[in-house]
Amino acid sequence: MTRADRRTRFWLHVLVLALVLVILFPFLWLLMMSFKTDSDIFAWPPVLVFTPTTDHYLALWEGNFPKSFANSAVASIVSTVFAMIIGVPGAYALSRTAMRSEKSLSLLILSSRMAPPIAFTIPYFLVYRHLDLLDTLTGLIIIYLTFNISLVVWLMRSFFDATPRSLEEAAWIDGATLWQGFSRIILPLSGPGLAATAILCFLYSWNDFFFALILTRTEAMTAPVAVVNFMNYEGWEWGKIAAGGTMVMLPVLIFSILVRKFLIQGMTAGAIKG
Amino acid sequence: MVTLTAVQNVNGSGVLPVAGHFEARQRFYWRLLWPTLAVLMVVTLLPTLYLLVTSFTPLDLTRPETAWNFSRPLGNYGLLLEDGRLHDSFWTQAKLSFWTVGLQLLLGFLFALLLNSSSRLLQALRTVFLIPMVLPPIVVAIIWKVLYTPDISPFYWMFLELGWDVPALITHADWALTAIIVADTWEWFPFTMLMILAALQMMPEEYIDAAKIDGATVWQTTLYVTLPYLRGVLLVAGLFRLIDSIKAFPLIFILTDGGPGTVTEVTNFYSYIQAFNFSYLGYSSAITVVLVALTVLLSWAIIRMVGWGQGVD
Repeated sequence: MTRADRRTRFWLHVLVLALVLVILFPFLWLLMMSFKTDSDIFAWPPVLVFTPTTDHYLALWEGNFPKSFANSAVASIVSTVFAMIIGVPGAYALSRTAMRSEKSLSLLILSSRMAPPIAFTIPYFLVYRHLDLLDTLTGLIIIYLTFNISLVVWLMRSFFDATPRSLEEAAWIDGATLWQGFSRIILPLSGPGLAATAILCFLYSWNDFFFALILTRTEAMTAPVAVVNFMNYEGWEWGKIAAGGTMVMLPVLIFSILVRKFLIQGMTAGAIKG
Repeated sequence: MVTLTAVQNVNGSGVLPVAGHFEARQRFYWRLLWPTLAVLMVVTLLPTLYLLVTSFTPLDLTRPETAWNFSRPLGNYGLLLEDGRLHDSFWTQAKLSFWTVGLQLLLGFLFALLLNSSSRLLQALRTVFLIPMVLPPIVVAIIWKVLYTPDISPFYWMFLELGWDVPALITHADWALTAIIVADTWEWFPFTMLMILAALQMMPEEYIDAAKIDGATVWQTTLYVTLPYLRGVLLVAGLFRLIDSIKAFPLIFILTDGGPGTVTEVTNFYSYIQAFNFSYLGYSSAITVVLVALTVLLSWAIIRMVGWGQGVD
């Protein structure tokens, strides 16, 4: 590497670091705000250095927020589990066999991932009114299946495609049944794919706002809706909003880093390998 | 490879136990597949049909007798053609989609070029750029609500120090849509960036080397070699963002609530208002049917372009 090259590289690093700070600033600002006292939040000029406080988090803990947080967790986890149970066998079958109507199936899967949520919300809302499923976790779990099953089928199919067929064929020769070939040989080998898919389903359900906004009121209210409700009561509770927002994004940040390699595949329903 | 062909030969001659038979396998796969397909149809296709049926009725939640009234099945669709507020919402949607998709492709491309290097630091920083995109959309909306609220925003303090008189963007008719475009671009440019980066890493180095030998400058290589190579991925990334921009909701709901007036009211948002503020579910269904048709059309374009199963790599 020549001296000029090294100098270019140095300035490139400086430039990228500066850009990272600019891009992350809005996110960091909210994070800091959640640890500021009310007077620091409204301080003019705005303060970068301050004595952190956990008051807003404590206030959240004492209110109804923990319940909403638990609702979010239960709805997301249960919906993910069901989507995996329903979707994984189908994904395996799709990976191992040719289907004549594959084009229509791809279209169904991609469209159901991309359709505006209101398209499902209206019919589900009308049906739930009669089935008494409005404002219940069951209702949320079912509507989250609309996008979760598609996601599982598409992602797991591409994971299974990458698992050599010779593995289960060898098992069959040794006398294993077809089902054993799948459950004892292929599934255990697909651990990382299963984990990544489950995490992505969880993230999509956790991030949902629209379905929960329309289909829940108080009992089944999820954390994102609860945070928004802090905006509607008398006066804006900025501290609580920032703390609540931070709580909502915490699991997302942790899980996203775990599955960063699969994020793009997940967002494009597997159409693109990231 | 050798063992694989051997197995297939054994397979063909039918020496294998039952499990190896082609027909037994097909039956097995079908047994695994149909429950998945059945549930998928029940949770997605049936509701879509119900939406379509509802769009042929004047359903108004405050007047129960309007349910299942098919006396004027195309009434809502006739209304679509006359509703000026709806047409405005299409125009707002077009502006929002055009600017966000365009800016995201541009920024994504520039950042991808910057980060496309073997340097370990830069590779580590890629993960950091993921943050805006993976944040829950509602948190992104809150972040920008803070930044756009003059009392507590560090930006407004900076503007004041610089002596610029910046109005409160999200409540200003001329600026509200721009404010949303900025926030949406911040949230989603990492997506286009990552797709472009993935494609850049597949690009054969010979392309660049050959151009260099021919004496091309960095600009020329970027413009005439890299950019044409990325045409496919730019198109697909743009289409994905375009479809996604149709369902923009949390940013608009939190930042402007469609206002001031209706200047940030996109079609999806207008449909929400018709359904859940005015209770006109029949009319809202008709609007939504149009949006779904558009989504299916664009999804079909993507599938045509990438083929299925295979990526664009």
